Amino acid sequence: MIYKNLRGITALLGIIGLLTLLALENAKAVPSFARQTGMSCNVCHTAFPELTPFGRHFKLTGYAISKSDKPYEFPPPLAGMLQLSFAHTNKAQPRGSVDDNWATHATSSDNNIFNLPQQASIFYGGKIYDHIGGLVQGTVDGASNTLFLDNTDLRYANNTTVAGKNLIYGLTINNNPTVQDVWNTTPAWGFPYAASSVAPTPAAGTVIDGGLGQQVGGIGAYAYWNNLIYGEVAVYRTAKNGITEPLGAGTTTDTVVHGAVPYWRLALQHQQGKHSLELGTYGLYAKISPEGSTSGPTDKFTDIAFDAQYQYIGKSNLFSFHSTWIHEDQDWDGSFDLGNTAKKSGHLNTFKIHGHYTYRSPIGDFGGSAGFFSTTGNKDILLYAPDPVDGSRTGSPNSNGLIFELDYQRLEITKFLSLKCSLQYTLYNKFNGSHSNYDGFGRDASDNNTLYFLLWFMF
Amino acid sequence: MKKMIAFVVAGIVLVFGFVVWNINIEASEYNQGRDIYENKCQICHGVKGDGNGPAGVALSPKPVDFTSPKFWQQKNVDKLITDTVEKGHGMMPSFDLKPGDIKDIIDYLAHTFRPKS
Repeated sequence: MIYKNLRGITALLGIIGLLTLLALENAKAVPSFARQTGMSCNVCHTAFPELTPFGRHFKLTGYAISKSDKPYEFPPPLAGMLQLSFAHTNKAQPRGSVDDNWATHATSSDNNIFNLPQQASIFYGGKIYDHIGGLVQGTVDGASNTLFLDNTDLRYANNTTVAGKNLIYGLTINNNPTVQDVWNTTPAWGFPYAASSVAPTPAAGTVIDGGLGQQVGGIGAYAYWNNLIYGEVAVYRTAKNGITEPLGAGTTTDTVVHGAVPYWRLALQHQQGKHSLELGTYGLYAKISPEGSTSGPTDKFTDIAFDAQYQYIGKSNLFSFHSTWIHEDQDWDGSFDLGNTAKKSGHLNTFKIHGHYTYRSPIGDFGGSAGFFSTTGNKDILLYAPDPVDGSRTGSPNSNGLIFELDYQRLEITKFLSLKCSLQYTLYNKFNGSHSNYDGFGRDASDNNTLYFLLWFMF
Repeated sequence: MKKMIAFVVAGIVLVFGFVVWNINIEASEYNQGRDIYENKCQICHGVKGDGNGPAGVALSPKPVDFTSPKFWQQKNVDKLITDTVEKGHGMMPSFDLKPGDIKDIIDYLAHTFRPKS
């Protein structure tokens, strides 16, 4: 059985590799979107993966804009990604906290961890047929040693005229609420764009902030009028079974949503010359079974968020600012009965703000970022219980800190290779409720301060 | 007399050579402009230069229509194109092109799309 599976996987990888090579043979720029449009990567991106106004337009029109007028082109638009990283935490995590596998190696001090690779991905990125396109990411994750279907966004898009102005409309099928969004304020594509997958992170997070990534599959309808007003409604269901199961391929569905999860998005954008400003709101309502069960009482989460983005895109100087605030109401109907929470209800608030500057030079793009993040909420001694590294001594979910990042980006080093290097420092002021001895086992918030270096190849 | 004929022939050859050379330069500039247009501009501005390229049809506002007389009646239209290419405008990003390349594009646009009147 194992031999048969291996043979199948080898054959599949062989086909994907061959198609990738065929795609690269015709490469003009990188990755597959650039190859499809004939445009440079920086037409759609400022600092990868942040989108420019044209990048947002490309995504909303279904990734289907092409220099060719044929409805389908061979080879398919395949691209690849490789992330190699190193993380240093102020204090080592207890042995066993991080899996020591073929891709993850800790030095003897246990606080220097190499992730080689952190992630390796193959993308189908571009037109599928005529007005249908997609971004489908298959990823090998080094830290968890898994192969899974990562962020996926399949679209149909078209346009018409309403009140004398252009209206883009479309459908999206995706597996992560906000992955379909075009502003870099929402969780799926928000700052930091990459972070260590082995360093400790705060225990509390809202459902919409990555809690349903690859755990659900859904379909949404959207419209964007006159480059001004964007509206979207979507509905998700669990990827544990049924028609949406393929959208969670390779991921264990341990967050099981019950019934339909409605998602909404409304945004206003104004563009004036090199400036663009966006103000918006988004949110969802989800019923989630405690402990991954498929029956019995559920917990209910209502997430309501607001976001803002400003971009200035000059010839050599680019600046962007992103912010989002998410409020989550929590009803622990299921978890309380099981004794997992001390209270029947609660709430969380998260706030993120981030500014980024890029200087485009003939030898590459140099950039710097600074960001602040904060999570606050009510105390719950069972939900946030004491535990080494991940727990809370006080039962509080409150965390906050700063992130600083330096980037160097060189797009199209060769006709099919782009590179981004990032040096990031995450500084915690408060972690899971406290500044010092936050977990009840003597660990301080600053012990989780993380220096992170990333080499990010796209091809 | 022979000297005179040789002088005239040499003159004709020189003038003819200069004209051919000039035409070649113009043709090569035209081709260069066309290549850049096809690679960088056509996806929005379209094969016909009317702003209806595959990426242009859904843009709001629409890309400039190079076949419109109004576009060419603007003051300093060469400078306008140069500034837009170099600095970007609205949805259109800036393009890192040499001044000679931008001039080639302007020549190509003027020769190909500018209405004859």
